[in-house]
Amino acid sequence: MSNNVKSDLLLECRGIDKNYNGPQVLDKVDFSLRRGEIHALVGENGAGKSTLIKIVTGITNRNAGTIVFDGHEIPVEHNKNASEKLGIAVIYQELSLIHGMTVAQNIFLTKEPLLPGLPFIDIKKMNAMAQAMIEKYGFDLKPTDIIDKLPIAQRQTVEILKALSNKASLMIMDEPTSSLTAKESERLFKIIRMLKDEGITVVYISHRMEEVYDLSDRVTVLRDGKLVSVLEGDEITPAEIIRLMIGRELTEDESHHKMVDKRDREAVLEVRDLCAEGKLNNISFKLHKGEVLGFGGLVGSGRTELMRAIYGIDAFDSGEIAYLGKPYSPTVERSIAGGFGFVPEERRLQGIMGGISITGNIGIANLDSISSPAGFINSDKELERSHKAISTLNIKPANPDHLVGNLSGGNQQKVVVGKWLIRDLKLLIVDEPTVGVDIGAKEEMYQTIDRLSKEGVAVMVVSSDLPELTRLSDRIIVLRKGRIIKEFTEGVVTEEEVLRAASGIVEGSAK
Amino acid sequence: MKTKSALFKDHMVELRLFGVLLALMVILSLISDRFLTVDNLTNVLWSVCLIGIMTTGAIYAPITGGIDLSVASMAALAGILANVFMNTLGMNWIVAIVLTLIIGAGIGWLNGVVTTKFLVPAFIVTMAAKTYLFGVAMLVSNGDQITIMQPAPFLQIGIGKFLGIPIPIYIMFALVIVSHILLKKTVFGRRAIAVGANEVSAKLTGVNPDRTRIIVYTISSVTATIAGIVMASLTQQAYAMNATGYELDVITAIVVGGTSLMGGSGSVIGALIGAVMVGFINNGLNLLDMPSAYHPIATGIVILVALIMNQGISVPAVLKKWFARPGAAETAK
Repeated sequence: MSNNVKSDLLLECRGIDKNYNGPQVLDKVDFSLRRGEIHALVGENGAGKSTLIKIVTGITNRNAGTIVFDGHEIPVEHNKNASEKLGIAVIYQELSLIHGMTVAQNIFLTKEPLLPGLPFIDIKKMNAMAQAMIEKYGFDLKPTDIIDKLPIAQRQTVEILKALSNKASLMIMDEPTSSLTAKESERLFKIIRMLKDEGITVVYISHRMEEVYDLSDRVTVLRDGKLVSVLEGDEITPAEIIRLMIGRELTEDESHHKMVDKRDREAVLEVRDLCAEGKLNNISFKLHKGEVLGFGGLVGSGRTELMRAIYGIDAFDSGEIAYLGKPYSPTVERSIAGGFGFVPEERRLQGIMGGISITGNIGIANLDSISSPAGFINSDKELERSHKAISTLNIKPANPDHLVGNLSGGNQQKVVVGKWLIRDLKLLIVDEPTVGVDIGAKEEMYQTIDRLSKEGVAVMVVSSDLPELTRLSDRIIVLRKGRIIKEFTEGVVTEEEVLRAASGIVEGSAK
Repeated sequence: MKTKSALFKDHMVELRLFGVLLALMVILSLISDRFLTVDNLTNVLWSVCLIGIMTTGAIYAPITGGIDLSVASMAALAGILANVFMNTLGMNWIVAIVLTLIIGAGIGWLNGVVTTKFLVPAFIVTMAAKTYLFGVAMLVSNGDQITIMQPAPFLQIGIGKFLGIPIPIYIMFALVIVSHILLKKTVFGRRAIAVGANEVSAKLTGVNPDRTRIIVYTISSVTATIAGIVMASLTQQAYAMNATGYELDVITAIVVGGTSLMGGSGSVIGALIGAVMVGFINNGLNLLDMPSAYHPIATGIVILVALIMNQGISVPAVLKKWFARPGAAETAK
């Protein structure tokens, strides 16, 4: 490593360890930032990026290691308010803004200028101060705009102004472009460069390699909680970053998991030219009996939107869907009656009913089979279904009365999957099936999907976890900006290939 | 063995409440020898039966995460309408009751539709309904206290007795049983709980939250209408102010009974116990010849204590944390 003079460094983290009472999330990670640089932090899902940022900003505490920020040693018992005072700001997309308030009110929240000698806010002065900041950076805002009425890209600029008003010297942006259009992203990059010119250090977290490549002065690559490399200057190329992020040869097990071409089988689902304004663009594919079709792509590439449209949650503008050879216009009720199962992306928000027992969660998807035509529940049948799901999926504790909210992440997910398995399932959609799930439960989830596919159930898997995607899929479709950009049909697909397609790197040009 | 423990677990909340109720009864019987008599206990049940009847339907709104504030106005209007149908328009009393119930159901349906389809919060929708239903009741009754002299069979609903026990008490228990079965043993009950527990999850699992909620508010209005008919018969009076403030008593009974206003769980029997508990406290204060000003004070305290108990948070732990706070803030600086 280079011999940096200490004053060159704004932030210096050494030997950061973190475990959440379990697996090591960060393992002796070093991370340093120079003053006024744009520094990209990259890694696969679960590499430890978010945890590192949470430690720097004081949202969680580290187990070991030292952090020096601007000459101040940061104690282990750090908190978010303290880090804000020091000048560390995180730019969220919209989370920290108060929607009903104006731009100026948000920027100066809790530090409003007061009328001299009075406990009242000097609104004129506040708006003028906001206006001055807006003009300085040339943003397209008015101090009196209400946040609610602004598009996300502009809310982001308000966040940045808010951070600037806090005299932030470090701004951390976590996936800032994931819901921006190309044009809006360009403008954000301009703003980031302006911040750099002002001497502000920007940490940029992104899965989009081309952005990282364009913007960054340096890149820190994390993998499995460890620091892999810090790239600088010419070393920064998308292909190199991807190689370092994945950074391992295929394991024995994975190389055995060759994709299997099942396209000669009977088609279960056929999607033709599916379009949804701003989300999906001419999506066409077929899904066959017993086939596991993986969907790769970056966050915001349209994978979840596609699944939701097919299941009948969100409407689409044009295109056709055929299910079991017949034209199909999806609604959730129809899909369930027709043998679909759906495991949504956000387990806590969309999957489980935490305050209800395992039996209750399982029962609600199976009301048709546990009740009489008059609508009375047969408690014995209900309990029997619950026991069946518990034993099939090895849900622990195996107590049907246990509240699902008190189960571990892996067992919660088993309940979400389990409620479909006791039905006559023909098509299972799973979106990020193992996020927040421990390794044991993860493997069980994979085995369940393998088993279902052997039984002839067609499965669609959306996953940002590349080893998972390649492990499970018989075929992989990669989406990018709402379009199918690549399809892998045979042989062994490497994670690198999927990630390159998802990042929009054209074959052969990068290396 | 297993079913026995499951039964116990299923009814934990009810059993605990029943324990508190028994304790209250013991205390009251020690304080006053007039308390533990058949007449007095019947009296208490009789005094809470209107609230009890309303509760059986109104409970579904909080179970789905909503609330129905319109039940009292609905009940007052129901009595007035029934009287108009019978005594002004000369309808048969059964026809009049059925017609009143249909109108009640329609108003509940409207509450549900506005809540679900126009996305106005249930609190606002039902508060508006409370207001306009009261207005309609005043309009139709001219603001008068109308005495209902006939028909005799109608008046028997409220003042009649069977085996020495007033008929409204039978009506209350019948509705409690029906509502309990509806909640615990039917598809509709499951859906209502699911919508309250996690609407998004319920929707993705094939429950139609809008349809469920519309039924919920319809049921709530129907039981309020039944209470209104019983009330008119019981008091022999049709009067717009007759049930003023009852919606708060109903909500009190529901929350004391262990139903969370956040949705996802509920107990009809718990709510009945809650209503009876409030009845006992008022009865006890009466027996002790305490001025009536003490009644709301006692009721308020009961609500707070019951809810703190239902939260399952230990009071000493909260106090400890509270007093530890200033010190912690100082070290953080």
